[in-house]
Amino acid sequence: MARPGHRSYAAVATGALKELAVPLVSVALAVLAGSVIMLVSGFDPVAAFAAMLEGAFGGGRQIGETMLRATPLMFTGLAVAYGFRAGLFNIGAEGQLFMGGLAAAFLGIALAGLPRPLNIVLMLVAGAAIGAAWAFIPALLKANIGAHEVITTMMFTFIGRYIVSWLVTGPLKAEGQIPQTEALPVESTLPKLHEVLPFLADSRAHLGFVIAVVLAMFVWWVLKYTSLGYESRAVGFNPSAAETGGISVPATTVKALCISGALAGLAGVTEVMGVHLRLFDQFSPGFGFTGIAVALLAKNNPIGVIVAAILFGALSAGALPMQLEAEVPTKVIFIIQALIIFLVAAEQLARWVLGRGRQEARDVG
Amino acid sequence: MLADILTADLISSAVRMATPIALAAIGGTICERSGVVNIALEGIMLFGAFMGVIGAMFSGSAWVGVVTAVVGGMSLAAVHAFASVTLKTDQVVSGTAINILALGLTGFLMEVIFGHPGTTDPVSRLRPVFEIEGPTDGAIGTAWHWFSEIALSYTPIVYLAIIIAIVGHWALYRTRWGLRLRALGEHPRAADTVGISVTRGRYGAVIASGALGGLAGANLTLEQVGSFTEGMTSGRGFIALAANIFGRWTPGGSYAASLLFGFADALQIKLQLFRDVIRIPSQFFLMLPYVLTVIVLASVVGRAVAPAAIGKPYEKG
Repeated sequence: MARPGHRSYAAVATGALKELAVPLVSVALAVLAGSVIMLVSGFDPVAAFAAMLEGAFGGGRQIGETMLRATPLMFTGLAVAYGFRAGLFNIGAEGQLFMGGLAAAFLGIALAGLPRPLNIVLMLVAGAAIGAAWAFIPALLKANIGAHEVITTMMFTFIGRYIVSWLVTGPLKAEGQIPQTEALPVESTLPKLHEVLPFLADSRAHLGFVIAVVLAMFVWWVLKYTSLGYESRAVGFNPSAAETGGISVPATTVKALCISGALAGLAGVTEVMGVHLRLFDQFSPGFGFTGIAVALLAKNNPIGVIVAAILFGALSAGALPMQLEAEVPTKVIFIIQALIIFLVAAEQLARWVLGRGRQEARDVG
Repeated sequence: MLADILTADLISSAVRMATPIALAAIGGTICERSGVVNIALEGIMLFGAFMGVIGAMFSGSAWVGVVTAVVGGMSLAAVHAFASVTLKTDQVVSGTAINILALGLTGFLMEVIFGHPGTTDPVSRLRPVFEIEGPTDGAIGTAWHWFSEIALSYTPIVYLAIIIAIVGHWALYRTRWGLRLRALGEHPRAADTVGISVTRGRYGAVIASGALGGLAGANLTLEQVGSFTEGMTSGRGFIALAANIFGRWTPGGSYAASLLFGFADALQIKLQLFRDVIRIPSQFFLMLPYVLTVIVLASVVGRAVAPAAIGKPYEKG
């Protein structure tokens, strides 16, 4: 029953399809281009993608691994998407993630012996706070003097990584040869999902996945229904109009980049609490950077981030089986990622190709 | 100990370390003067570094490697030009995609060609231009040591970068090319009105910046290291963009600012040798160039004025 003032279900469905068309076509084209690269390099793309699909969705354990890898990408994807909504490019989510991981590794030991729910909440809050703090100086520099956040957050990523590298080789190093921190006590870790969902078999998927999904919905709500979200979007859409409308652009910029940093910090906390249970130098294979691709594919929509993160999680979970069975180097997924970014960003590409076709037809005719 | 740190080779090392940053920074200057932001310099440099090793390996000549590095840089830059000028994609997003693409392509091709990730086999490097035996005794020997170390100890691309900075600076302000380039970035509509093609001008500038980024990569692999390691540019492309801003969007200024970063890098390497005396963990020295970049940006950005049309696609009409 169509109510007045509301779009019919058919119209909503068509609208959603149109929204989804660009991301879907982009992914398909990127996979196609990836196949061509594999063919040219002497690999079998059909076998490769079959192995990838099997490795990502072939069973309960595989699905769990995809969820495991989607979890940090959901946080970093949300981080980058929130920044983009406010007109900010947080390319330094990786650094904020490292600081979040640091908070978890440090606090998890310090809180040993306390109740698990309390520890989980405290560690998540601390990770978000340190992530926000790591974005604060770039945010101030952006808001007050216009220093481009792409350069400053990137520099803070390198600085953060060296701080972590120093701490895990020095002050926080556990006994033994390997530069890593002490393992967290069980009360400072996130429970595995297979404890309640036996279907996920012995996969490593953890509570962080659920937290990320709920958080994505929360961020969606914040952006859509709160004044904080409205101000962020207004500044991202048109800063001078927002300023005229009485919104403080510098204050909103600082808030938005710090929120983005907090979201990225959570990725580091949950990785340490749910997967590695300790901190070491290489604990993130670039989740912060893949988060950029996730956000762009989701067109900065927090709900879309859930789907895009699962897609990239599947790519990542399937990469190793692909290398083992079809011998294609796992790095090919970076190429596919980059192509997806290009294709989504260049919506114009379709129009350009079409327009050109029409022009040629005219030239001929 | 100060005398052990402040040596002639600290200065020459600073010049060497500054070279890839300076080349990329001048590339950034040319690109941004035309109105196109080039975040992709990091990936362009990485791809150039890799292509340099590939060219040198298959031909046996480091000079062929320099050519393949430059061509590699130009081809990635052409993708950026197509995306940002023709398709009017967000230039920062396109640049990010190219950075990820370069990371993936170099890693993928390395495993296909060398059969393993990490570092490639070593290739032949470019020799220093001057190899002159001078006096070694007494005051004259000391003077000669300082002079030859600071002025005569470099490989070809290091000198080339200095020449490019000087010629580029002159050309930007004294030639028709420079005037047109500046017009593209300040007032593209005016340039269009007087018959300068904005599209062609910007394509040229972006691809020129790719050539310089590729040359920067060649300097890394074919002069400094002699092999390629995944992700070896480690942020130099971003530092170069900061150097370009610090140098106020001029080739000479970019070079001078890069010297500052080169010096931070050289000092960092030097201080690590004294790790037993100065008890500071090496990571703090390694951080130095990145911290310096933030400080430089914080102190200069408010007063440096970017080209007016930077980052904006040009809509003819």
